[in-house]
Amino acid sequence: MKPEPLVCCPIESPASHDIRMKNRSANLLSVLLLLASVALLIAVGAWYLQNDNAAEKTSLHLTQADWQERDSAAFVAPPASVASTSLSSYWQHSTLPGSLTPTPPLQDKTSASVRTTWVKLSMAGKTLPAGPLVLYGIRIKTDGTVAVYANGHLVHRLQAQGQLWSSLFTPLWVVLDQQDTAEPLQEIMIRVEHAANTPVALSSLWIGTPEALRGRYYLRQWLQRELPATLNAAFLVVGIFALCVWLRRRQETRYLLFFNLAAISFVGHLHYYVSLPILSGWFAWLTANALFWLLMVIHLFLCQLHGRRLFWLTRAIIGITLVSSILSSPIIDVLPVFPSTSLWVPLMYAIAVLMGLLVCIVGGISARHRSRDGVLLAAGVGVATLMGMSDWLLHNNIISPEGWFLGAYTNAITFFMFGTLMYRRYLHAIAEVEQVNASLAQRLLAREVELELSHQQLRAAAQRQTISDERQRLMQDMHDGLGSSLISAIRSVELGGVSESKVSQILKDCLDDLKLTIDSMEPVEADLLLLLATLRFRLEPRLEGSAIQLRWEVQELPTLPWLEPSSALHILRIVQESIANILRHTRADQIRVHTSHVSDGVTVTIDDNGQGFDVEQVMRNPAGRGLHNQQRRAQAIDGRVDWQSTSSGTRFTLWLPLQR
Amino acid sequence: MPAYNATFDSTPTFVPAIHVAIVEDDPDFRNALRTVVTATADMQVADVATTRAEGLAMLQGPPADVLLVDLGLPDGSGIDVIQAAVALWPSCNIMVSTNFGDETHVMRSIEAGAAGYLLKDSSPAKMLDEIRSLASGGSPISPIIARQVLARFRTIRTDNGDNPAPPQATTNANGPAAATSAAPTPLSAREKEVLDYITKGFNTGEIAALMDLSHFTVRTFVRRIYSKLKVTSKTEAIYEARTLGLLPD
Repeated sequence: MKPEPLVCCPIESPASHDIRMKNRSANLLSVLLLLASVALLIAVGAWYLQNDNAAEKTSLHLTQADWQERDSAAFVAPPASVASTSLSSYWQHSTLPGSLTPTPPLQDKTSASVRTTWVKLSMAGKTLPAGPLVLYGIRIKTDGTVAVYANGHLVHRLQAQGQLWSSLFTPLWVVLDQQDTAEPLQEIMIRVEHAANTPVALSSLWIGTPEALRGRYYLRQWLQRELPATLNAAFLVVGIFALCVWLRRRQETRYLLFFNLAAISFVGHLHYYVSLPILSGWFAWLTANALFWLLMVIHLFLCQLHGRRLFWLTRAIIGITLVSSILSSPIIDVLPVFPSTSLWVPLMYAIAVLMGLLVCIVGGISARHRSRDGVLLAAGVGVATLMGMSDWLLHNNIISPEGWFLGAYTNAITFFMFGTLMYRRYLHAIAEVEQVNASLAQRLLAREVELELSHQQLRAAAQRQTISDERQRLMQDMHDGLGSSLISAIRSVELGGVSESKVSQILKDCLDDLKLTIDSMEPVEADLLLLLATLRFRLEPRLEGSAIQLRWEVQELPTLPWLEPSSALHILRIVQESIANILRHTRADQIRVHTSHVSDGVTVTIDDNGQGFDVEQVMRNPAGRGLHNQQRRAQAIDGRVDWQSTSSGTRFTLWLPLQR
Repeated sequence: MPAYNATFDSTPTFVPAIHVAIVEDDPDFRNALRTVVTATADMQVADVATTRAEGLAMLQGPPADVLLVDLGLPDGSGIDVIQAAVALWPSCNIMVSTNFGDETHVMRSIEAGAAGYLLKDSSPAKMLDEIRSLASGGSPISPIIARQVLARFRTIRTDNGDNPAPPQATTNANGPAAATSAAPTPLSAREKEVLDYITKGFNTGEIAALMDLSHFTVRTFVRRIYSKLKVTSKTEAIYEARTLGLLPD
């Protein structure tokens, strides 16, 4: 063996080393947990069966028996005591376990329906263990009543009303109370009353102390009755779980089928551990037909798995199942399943076995290469059918009466198969979810990239639009103002006759226009006051040169969210024009600029103390172009302009909305 | 309301002449400026440069009182000259000459270390007034620049928002000033008040009246505000001057 390396690979980082150590210790923990769990189960089992080893020493194994038969007209209660000498002296000998079949066959002259079989087990010459004794046997296979006598006294009665559904699976356990009779145990007799045409089969028997035999008894009891009951209950619980799944996901009928299977299986296996007398026709009907139902449901399930319809097979199976269920039902009672001596019963089991093999083989072939689950299920059907066959063999005394009724475990097989199916489905679903999540993240990433791209395109388009708008705006403004002013300046210079100061004034006006255009592009942050402040700042040098006093009486204004460069330029031009008009056309010596916040807007008011003008008349004249321009610009930004003029002054008002 | 042009009359005539150095490539404006300054009794032209290179060379000589720099020089930006002047002529009042006084040019210059700006289309009287005001420690400002300066200080405050002032500081009598005191170069309440008035359109004279200050004090407030803006970039300026070879290491 290679020595364990002491140091890890040098490339490995300490972090990954840590992780590996952590993983390793986690693995170790898991293994320990697993071992502990298994050991616990084994320990419980060993403790449960601990007396088994001592059995051989302190118990007596009875394998030889004498027996005789007597016919009678009806069932009779067993006598309280009987002496073997009072019976016929003709005893046949048999080795146990074995079937007590008369040789030569009894001539049924009396055509009696009830037969009494006496079995005699002699203790003579054998040393019995001391202390209280028990009689233990795997089973007495009969459909009738059983009575046990010790030294000729009745000590125990079984199936007083006839066979129970569970009696084939219940081991014999009789406490032989020796206190009544001082003499040692000499002889054990078993009286069995049964239908004339069903032979009795008997397993070998043990006599010993309870401590010596309890282990065997418990093991049989547990394996034959309690384990199947547990498995059945577990299967039903899983079926209910599947039902809950189906209730939330109605389109997945296989969950409902699974629940159906669990329910049928539960009902079909009840007879292995329910101690009902075999009298109820419905219970027998259920027990017998459950086989067909099970096979039908499994077949439908298989069809779902491998996806082939198997039209004729499906029809045949459903047909046989329906026919059997209807004809054998206690209402119709054409083919009664009880008593088991009826013609129908052996045929029914033969058909069931055939159907099981068919479902297994056809299902297996159909599912091959198509559905691993289907193959698994078909194989399971095969195994379960074989187990059923072993039950049939035991029933018909073809194999030893000490054998096992394996049919009780068919639902363990079913449970295992469907458990595997669900387990695989569950693992598959988890893997799928992980995959879906991964691809979702991938798709999301792709979408994000796409979105970013389209955003970029949108931004680029918006930017192009903005640039185009801005160009449009500046072109318009330069055309109206700067351009025409410059042209008139050039014309004045070329024509002569205009003073240099006049030309200089025109050019200064042009520069002022240009400055306002530039200012309109400065960020004013929706602040109208800042815009007006900028205008004042630009006009100040002009006002300084004149004798006019400017009274700046502005008030705080709310922000105008729509105030952006193009609207800012309109406002600047409107107010500029207004002040220019005062400078140009009036003889005012005072201008008052005032702002206020009115209900749904803001106003900028400019008062002068000039001589005033006739607003309507000026508006009609070509000279009123400036006023029209102001109006037009105000309308462009959803605002209004207004003039109130008297001989002592003019009030100009610009109203602007708060929202646009 | 006090007269806006109060400073015209209050100019003392006995002070030593203001030495004006000019870095300007536009010959018309250069000559006009030279003519105006030369013709003024209390001023004299110390030196004239027409390119960035000449301007930088000029800074090796004796410092002037006022340096007028144009930003658009044929061989580079006037900003370099301003930065070098801050390092080499620390006592000099730097002024940038501009066509429009637009925010981009002026703010850059102020951050580089300029104390004021001169609109090229100003009347000669206005130019002289601006130079005198600058030489005596005042600075001009426009509403747009005031708004930008306020925004700049808000940013500085936001940047230091992680370390808010202790609670007792905010309950101080000087509320707004105390709140900004956490910033490295905070504006005082009065300085902020001046800027607020400017953005509302009040001129220097009106603000002086409103705040009960002298006309000149308002302009020195503006100078202080500018120098606070400059502080953040001063070490950078010295570094750049060194890389330009203008300062010994």
